[in-house]
Amino acid sequence: MRSSETKLNTFNSLSLGGAAALGWYLASSAVLSGSAADVVPVLGTVAIAALLPAYLGVRRARFVTDKQSLALGQRIDVLNEHAIVNVVDRSTNLIEVNDRFLEATGYSKEELIGTSMHKLYCDENQKLAPTIHLLLSTGKSWSGETPIRRKDGSVFFTHTTVRPIYDLKGNWIGSISARTDVTQTHELLAARDIAQVTDEMKEDIWIVDCEMMAATYMNKVALGRLGLRRAAEQLIPLSQLKGVDGVGSIVATCREMRSTGADNAQFETEYCGKPFHIGITRLKVGTLKGRFMVVMADMSKRVSEEQRKSDFISTVSHELRSPLTSIKGAMGLLLSRAAGELPDKAVSMLEIAHRNADRLVLIINDILDLEKIAAGRMEFDRRDVNLTDLVTETKNANVTMQKRFAVKVESNSDDSPIWINTDPNRIIQVLNNFLSNACKFSKSGSAVRIVIEDQGDSVRVAVKDQGTGIPIKDQHKVFERFADMENSNRSAKGGTGLGLSICKAIVEGLGGNIGFETTEGIGTTFYFVLPKTEANMESTPADNVVKMRSAS
Amino acid sequence: MLKLIHVEDDADIREIAKMSLDLAGDFDVIQCECGEDALARVQDYTPDVILLDMMMPGMTGRQTLEEMRKLPHLANVPAIFMTARAQHAEIEELRNVGAADVISKPFDPMSLADQIKSAIRK
Repeated sequence: MRSSETKLNTFNSLSLGGAAALGWYLASSAVLSGSAADVVPVLGTVAIAALLPAYLGVRRARFVTDKQSLALGQRIDVLNEHAIVNVVDRSTNLIEVNDRFLEATGYSKEELIGTSMHKLYCDENQKLAPTIHLLLSTGKSWSGETPIRRKDGSVFFTHTTVRPIYDLKGNWIGSISARTDVTQTHELLAARDIAQVTDEMKEDIWIVDCEMMAATYMNKVALGRLGLRRAAEQLIPLSQLKGVDGVGSIVATCREMRSTGADNAQFETEYCGKPFHIGITRLKVGTLKGRFMVVMADMSKRVSEEQRKSDFISTVSHELRSPLTSIKGAMGLLLSRAAGELPDKAVSMLEIAHRNADRLVLIINDILDLEKIAAGRMEFDRRDVNLTDLVTETKNANVTMQKRFAVKVESNSDDSPIWINTDPNRIIQVLNNFLSNACKFSKSGSAVRIVIEDQGDSVRVAVKDQGTGIPIKDQHKVFERFADMENSNRSAKGGTGLGLSICKAIVEGLGGNIGFETTEGIGTTFYFVLPKTEANMESTPADNVVKMRSAS
Repeated sequence: MLKLIHVEDDADIREIAKMSLDLAGDFDVIQCECGEDALARVQDYTPDVILLDMMMPGMTGRQTLEEMRKLPHLANVPAIFMTARAQHAEIEELRNVGAADVISKPFDPMSLADQIKSAIRK
């Protein structure tokens, strides 16, 4: 940005500045009076001539008599063709624009003349306007970059020079602006800056042009991986990469995005013999508009780290299970009197040890499940199953728990089958967790009720207890791992502190939702709702065995 | 009496299993501490059921079974695996290679005999 003093020179030669001022003068209806000769002595020097076609036609007919004048006319023509020019009055209302201005903005002359230049301004211009106005009012000019908003709302960048203009008496009456569209220069500079940044990135980056079926840019690491060198034009035909594994899916995804209009795509694939995460984004601005940026992240290190972690947890779990087999086995045999009768106190102590060994097994199982959830590897073995049978099976399997906590478990089921497509073992795991929690936290002698509710497209299973309820301050922690809650008394009740977080992952993984309702002193209801996805909903006679059918 | 060969590297688990099966009273149990020993033992012995630990130093339970299956007199003897890595995918895989059942560790010593008899019946 710069400003300079505008000199009010006497027009004593056919200088470019003089001609420009003259051109504007004749084109501007505000001061259109008298002949060119009349205004010459009082007009200031205005930098760019661009509004002169009408004037030149007249002038050529009347005044062009020598070589100097002819040369001037040609220079004006060139400048008129090159520059985007507009003239405004002191209130910044447009008085005149040239054809380039109309081409660049997309407006017609009728839409612009008499309206405020502000309608083409962006926020940046609005901020600059007072400064420029002040300079112009004091006879100074201004140069700098300004964005201009086109009729369609898009923006182009211009390098602009604004100079004040005067009437015959030397009064400031407005300004003339000559602009050069520098949008492409901006974009090229931006692209160069971006290229410098992306060259330093560790991900492989491509810019793909689907029309040309070529990569118009690849960063250093991407070129290196493919054994390519940066060419001057840097246009790499994708057909050249046909033999590279993974390229096919990248190209296919770009093409699909082009046809569907999708803006983003993400997937994982083998690329150059390694696992890669691929992110593709449609570029929407500038010269890159319509192309796709492909960002490829090598996941091999992460995959091997995850595998190591998974192996470690699996090995530790295995190593813990082996001694637990002996501990639990020995205690189980002793408790069954396989080694003869034992004193009552010894039996009591053995029962405590045996129960805690069971708890350790549960913790190990839960840790393995959590590891699977964290690694996104929890697999579901979906089948069409009768949910009523799963509930009955769980209820029967928890008889010991019911006896231990002196709780009666009831169900509303009339044995009518409710078929859903789900993983029966995982659903039993969730039901076991709900039921064992309900038994543990129930008042002795109270009832735990299992309610199955067919909701048409979905089914809700709730386990209600008449326990102490969950305090309000702990309710947000219910599905957290190892949530330290009042009344939980985990060690005495035999819980792992992981069960509900695993239940949540299971139910959500099966496409359902999980929740609870609780009132302190009244009781708690835990429930899950599962969609009846693709299950055969025809009623089938139930029996006491869990029925499973292979999913079609 | 059912003739059972039990292959398990952990001496304590061998003892627990032996005691459990003896308690049931229906089994004549031979125990080996590795797959190689078991293969040597079955050259002139035909059990009614094979009980194999999965993870063992040297030959794994699976490799041991594969070698046993090469012996004509063991080609159709039911085999049961015991594993501490009772993951769904692994259980399916063991069933696919011909396991009559897969018993997870820790097992219940009081129901081990019933589990084995049930697997043989299948």
